[in-house]
Amino acid sequence: MKDRCSVVSALLERYHDQEVTEEERRLIEDHLSQCPSCRDLLSTTAQIGTLIKLPIQEASERADFDRTWTKIRREIEKREPLPWWESFGDRLKASLFSWKRAWIPAMAAALIVVGLIVGPVLLEDQSPLKISSVEYVESADYNVMIYEGEKGNVTIIWLFDRSDEEVPAS
Amino acid sequence: MKRKNLILIGLSLLCLSLPSFALAQVQARVRIIEASNVSSGNDPALRDVRDQLGSLFNFSGYRLLKDVNLNLAGNRPAVVQVHPGRTMEVTLVGEYRKMAELKIKLMRESATILNTQVRLSSGRTILIGGPRHGAGVLIFVLSARF
Repeated sequence: MKDRCSVVSALLERYHDQEVTEEERRLIEDHLSQCPSCRDLLSTTAQIGTLIKLPIQEASERADFDRTWTKIRREIEKREPLPWWESFGDRLKASLFSWKRAWIPAMAAALIVVGLIVGPVLLEDQSPLKISSVEYVESADYNVMIYEGEKGNVTIIWLFDRSDEEVPAS
Repeated sequence: MKRKNLILIGLSLLCLSLPSFALAQVQARVRIIEASNVSSGNDPALRDVRDQLGSLFNFSGYRLLKDVNLNLAGNRPAVVQVHPGRTMEVTLVGEYRKMAELKIKLMRESATILNTQVRLSSGRTILIGGPRHGAGVLIFVLSARF
């Protein structure tokens, strides 16, 4: 019984504040019906609670919260606003701090992506393919000559009539 | 999933998708010129290519017959009427190392007299010349911007 009393007494305060579980509540109420000393303890706990609550209630009823808030607001308004660069710095610090865990992997991912984009461009073959080039030419009616300008800025496809061909001397 | 993670994944996917952009559209300019030794002097409309033509060919005169701007999009042929019965057909067929791959056909009536495929960097020029026209020859000046 004493063991049960020590268990229940430890729970009485929470029981009084209605913070116990359903199982604990059943256990306490079952025990309280048989144990007068624990009932006394519960009654004392309730009285102490009332003793604490009453003055707080009275004080809060007397308090003039509107006036207090007016005072606080006046104090806030008295303060000069921060210069924009300081407020920007504060916000930046706050955002960097909140992103601390995210921006390191983000930077790593960004570097990989930049590498994937820039790498092939840097490794790209710098051959004359940069200039215009003819992949194929077909013509049934003409002879074709292809000429690439020395500076590489022009490509010429010239069509010669077959009748223009020189006839070999016999 | 947290919002930050979603943003990171979204950004990564966006970055990865960048290299896969292909040429959706190419602005091509086709100028059709008659070059001959019958006339002399140059068409004022050909001021910008006069020196280039002079350094490449020996004709005494150049006359602009047609100046056409084409919006080329994937595999849709654009047709330029050279004169009745003769047409030029230009098709954007793809992209290779930041160059536009263009298929060019010269047609006489329904017969193809030239069929070629070229790779053209932005701002470069391809000249196709030779077919007879009047007392001279035709030169097709093809350039592209993308």
